[in-house]
Amino acid sequence: MSDPKRLHPIAAMINMLRQLKELIVPILFFTVFGSRGNEIVFYYIAVGGGLVLVLLTGVLSWYRFTYRVEEGELRIEHGLFVRKKRYIPFERIQSLDITEGILQRAFGLVKMKVETAGGSKTENAEAVLTAIKKEEARQIHDFLVSVKNSKRRDEFEEEVIPISESIIYRLSLGDLLLLASTSGGVGVVISAFVAFFFQFEEIIPHEKVYKEVEHFIANGVIFVSIVVFLGFLLAWVISVIGMMVKYANFTLKKVDQDLIITRGLLEKRQMTIPLKRIQAIRISENVLRQPLGRGAVYIESAGGSALNEEGSKVLVLPLIKKQDIAKTLEPFLEDYPFRPKFNKLPPRALSRYLVRGVVIVVPVAITVSYFFRPWGYISLLFILPSLIWSALKYKDAGWAIEKDFLVLRYRTFVKNTVLMRKEKVQSLTARKSFYQKKKRLATIEAVVKSGHSGSGGRVKDLEDRDVNNMYQWFSRDAHHKK
Amino acid sequence: MVPEPQTRISNRALVVWRISGVITSLFSWIIGGGLVTLGVLFDWPVWIITALIILIVIFSYLITFFFPKLRWKRWRYEVREQEIELQRGVFIMKRTLIPMVRVQHVDTQQGPLLRKYQLSTVMISTAATVHEIPALEMDEAEELRRSISRLARVADEDV
Repeated sequence: MSDPKRLHPIAAMINMLRQLKELIVPILFFTVFGSRGNEIVFYYIAVGGGLVLVLLTGVLSWYRFTYRVEEGELRIEHGLFVRKKRYIPFERIQSLDITEGILQRAFGLVKMKVETAGGSKTENAEAVLTAIKKEEARQIHDFLVSVKNSKRRDEFEEEVIPISESIIYRLSLGDLLLLASTSGGVGVVISAFVAFFFQFEEIIPHEKVYKEVEHFIANGVIFVSIVVFLGFLLAWVISVIGMMVKYANFTLKKVDQDLIITRGLLEKRQMTIPLKRIQAIRISENVLRQPLGRGAVYIESAGGSALNEEGSKVLVLPLIKKQDIAKTLEPFLEDYPFRPKFNKLPPRALSRYLVRGVVIVVPVAITVSYFFRPWGYISLLFILPSLIWSALKYKDAGWAIEKDFLVLRYRTFVKNTVLMRKEKVQSLTARKSFYQKKKRLATIEAVVKSGHSGSGGRVKDLEDRDVNNMYQWFSRDAHHKK
Repeated sequence: MVPEPQTRISNRALVVWRISGVITSLFSWIIGGGLVTLGVLFDWPVWIITALIILIVIFSYLITFFFPKLRWKRWRYEVREQEIELQRGVFIMKRTLIPMVRVQHVDTQQGPLLRKYQLSTVMISTAATVHEIPALEMDEAEELRRSISRLARVADEDV
C-alpha cells in the first residue's frame, strides 16, 4: 500500500462544485448589475474566465493530491503552488469517519475523515480524503486496527485480542417516525422560511402586499387560519422528512473499544467514539417525548474540533423508552449508574423557583398591560405557564452520587440527566447567594470537557448539606486534612 | 465540609481595585455631568437631576470603597497536593475545586496597573474551563505557577 495514490476523479468534480457554490453570489451580482449594453461582452468573459479558472484549479489540485500509507503513517501531499505534506502516524489517529454523499454513492465511493487526538483548532479534521474506493477505505481502516492491536499486544505481551463486535441498538421504523415527528426540527424549518423571506424584504412592494393582505383577511378569519395551519403543516412535514432521511438505518455498535454509529438514507454517515474519550452521558427528554416515556441519550466526548461540534455531543440513542436505557447501555458502559437513587430538592426551594420564573414575566406583563390596553392584557396570560414551568423545573431537579459518579438532573427547556465520572469532571463549583444562605440552600455546578469547550450540569437550590456532601466527595484532599 | 481555603490575595490588590474604581467612576461623572447639563439646558424636572446625582455618588462609593473591600475580604485560595480551591464572590459566594490532574496549564498575566504595584494575575486552565486568581504578589504568583505545574505534571495525559 505504499505507492502514492490519487483520489477518484470524482473528487475533482466535488471540489469544483463546492467552489462554484461559493462563486454563485458574485456571479448573480454580476448578472443583476453588470449586464448592460456593450458591457455584456466583458460580463461573459469574466464569468467564462472564472469558470475556466475553477475548472483548472479543480483538476490541478486533484492531480497534485496524493496519499499513501508508508512506515505506519498516512502521508498526504497536496498544494497547487505551495506543496504541502502532512504525515499522520497511525497511532495518533483517533477516529476515521466515513460518509457517503450522493455523488460518492453513485460511484461506489466514500469520503474519509481522519481525526487525531488534539484535533487542530483551525480545521475540522486533520485530513479529508474526499472520494476513495470503499475497498481502500476498508484497507486503511484494517491497517489502523492492526496497528492499534499490535500496540496493545506489546503492552500486554499476549496474542491479539479478537475484535468483538456487537450491536447495541437499532432504530426501528416506528421509532424513526416518532423521532422525526417529535423533534424540534419544525422550529428550524419555520425560522429558515422566515429568514428566507426577510432576505427579499427590500424587493417586496409593501403597499401592494398590504392591500392584498387586507383583501386576504377580508376573506374571513377561517380562511386565514387554514392557510397558516397549512403553512405550519408543510413546515412540519418537511422537517419530518428531513429527520427521517438523516436518521434512517440508525445503528449503534460496539466494536472493540469503540462505539460506532451509522445512519442516513441518502448520505450515509459513520462515526466512531472511542470509549476512553467519553466524558459524560446525557439523557434528554423534551416536552413532546416525555409524556410518551421516551428520551434521547447523548455522549459528551472529548473528540471533535472547534468547527466540528458534531463530534463533541453525539446522539447515541435517538429515541428510547426511558426504562430501556439502563438495559440497553449497561452491558456496554459497565460502571455507569443508569438507575441512580435521586435526591430531590427540599420544599423550601419551591418558592425560589417560582419567584425566578415570574421575576421577568410579571413586570413586563404589567407594563405591557398598562400601556397597550386592552390588548396588552393578553400578556398576563403568560404568567400562569411560566409558573407551571418553574414548578416543573423544581420537580425535575435532583442529584445522586453513586460510587465514582455524580448524577445531576435539571430542566432548562428539556429535562436533562447528566452522568459524570469523578475523574472526568474538570471543576466543581458551589454557589450560595445571600438569600440562599438564609434558606440554607446552595447551587452546584460541574463542568466536563465536551469537544473544545465545556459542558455539564447545574442544579439550583439544593439542600445546603447535600451540596457540602458533593463538594466533600469531589475534594481529593479533604480526607487527609481531617 | 471541606475546610475553607486559607491563603488571601495581596492587600495591594485593594489599592489597584480602588484605583480602577476611581477611573470607572470618573467616566460615570463625565457621562452624568453631560446628562445634568442637558437637564439644566432643557428644563428637566428637578427630581430627575437630583436622582441622577445621587445615583452617581452612590455608584462611585460602591465601586471605589465598598466592593473592592468586600471582594478582597472574600477572596481566598489554597493550593493543595491534589487540588486547587478558590473562594470568592461579592453577592454570591462561590467555591470551586479544580483537581490537579485536570490542570492543563497555568498562565500569569499583568496589566500596566498591576505591574506598577508588582502584582500579577494567575490563570489556571483545564481542558474546559479557565479560573483566575487576581492580583497576587509577583513572586508569589511565580511560585504558585511553578508549584502548580510541578504538581500537575504527574497528571494523567488522558482527559
